[in-house]
Amino acid sequence: MPHQCTDCGTTFADGSTEMLSGCPDCGGNTFQFLPESSAGDSSQSSGAEPEPTPDSEPAPSVDRSERPSPGDSVAKTVGNAAKTVKDIVGSDPDGPGTSPEAADPLEPWPEEGPGPTDDQPDGTTPTAGAESTSADRQRRASASRAEDVAQTSARSAVVAPEELPESGTAEMAAGAPPADGSPSPSDSRVEGSETEPSDNDEIDRPGLEELREELNDQFESIRIVEPGQYELNLMELYEREEYIIALQEDGRYQIQVPESW
Amino acid sequence: MGLLTELRDSISRAASTLFSEQDPKRIGIYGPPNAGKTTLANRIARDWTGDAVGPESSIPHETRRARRKENVEIERDGKSVQIDIVDTPGVTTKVDYTEFLDHDMEKDDAVRRSREATEGVAEAMHWLREDVDGVIYVLDSTEDPFTQVNTMLIGIIESQDLPVLIFANKIDLEESSVKRIRNAYPQHETVPLSALEGDNMDEVYDKIAEYFG
Repeated sequence: MPHQCTDCGTTFADGSTEMLSGCPDCGGNTFQFLPESSAGDSSQSSGAEPEPTPDSEPAPSVDRSERPSPGDSVAKTVGNAAKTVKDIVGSDPDGPGTSPEAADPLEPWPEEGPGPTDDQPDGTTPTAGAESTSADRQRRASASRAEDVAQTSARSAVVAPEELPESGTAEMAAGAPPADGSPSPSDSRVEGSETEPSDNDEIDRPGLEELREELNDQFESIRIVEPGQYELNLMELYEREEYIIALQEDGRYQIQVPESW
Repeated sequence: MGLLTELRDSISRAASTLFSEQDPKRIGIYGPPNAGKTTLANRIARDWTGDAVGPESSIPHETRRARRKENVEIERDGKSVQIDIVDTPGVTTKVDYTEFLDHDMEKDDAVRRSREATEGVAEAMHWLREDVDGVIYVLDSTEDPFTQVNTMLIGIIESQDLPVLIFANKIDLEESSVKRIRNAYPQHETVPLSALEGDNMDEVYDKIAEYFG
């Protein structure tokens, strides 16, 4: 019972994609991840989980689930998965303001694509780690190793923004493009890590390609290959009501939505 | 913010001209980068108003914002036709700063130019959707006209039912082939010209008056 809605307590099997569009029962978009080990370790938490009483606070329960094994990678997985799910599902009502965060969950996906990180021994991880200097990435790598195949594949399946609960189309439009733009630096990084371990990365490729295509299909009016290199979808640009008025260094762009004329 | 204000102003101007009695038709000059759109716009503006529209350059994407020249009065056969000319950034599906590095440009400048050019394409497409009454589609007659961009743009223009003239520019160059353009778009009138040299401008103005008057 790894995933649980923090609002109504509905649980989802590991690897479930159901909750990616919000909790089907209450529409909540915050979930916690409860690994099997934590259920076994602590009888208190395993007792509490199956019967989520209305007065059980969601926040403490998240803490509890993380506490049992703070040191090992499972705890990191929990934190990571919870954060990722929260980020993925969290619609951003603040529009552009939250877009940097919104872009974040998209970043790890390409590298954690279906399977490869599980199949491969640690040998490849240092390569990926060396590529990026951030410890964050290493954490992600170790987290993904601990995931099972179903979950990895579930995480690699991209949720189209259209599938998420609608929250104001103009804001969605404003929020979505950065998600395309921001991966641009990571885009090149991914390409780098793709070419280096090419011989043992066969399975990874179709997944990455697919993912990229899917992302490009979603946010296609301007694709930022890297800063200074752009691909434009003329039909999309033509059909858009909002008007792009400024591209920014970090790949975000500003649009003027028709309502505010 | 200045940009926004400017945009708002231009929109309100557009709105006010909507209700004026004699609307000059707003003619968008479209085409791929380096086809000679600004050279043509300048030629038309200089011939009839004495002013230029904007700087011309052999480096692609010199025009990165749409520029307008209003109330250009063209006289033909004793009648006068008033139009607004909108010179638009060259439309393309790819903008790459490395292209500009060949023109002795620093990387930072090239990247900025690339970004502005991309914004320019977005702007040009937006104008095409809402703000033009007719289109002059300028092609470099030394280049192959069968491109994705040309096909798509002309398709969009046709779907909008906008009157369109195709200008086969750069006929002063040896490799020029007007026939190739005529064959590519037989459904539209193709007018050969050299905007740079001023060749065949009489026919150009005749056709403008005929199509957009």
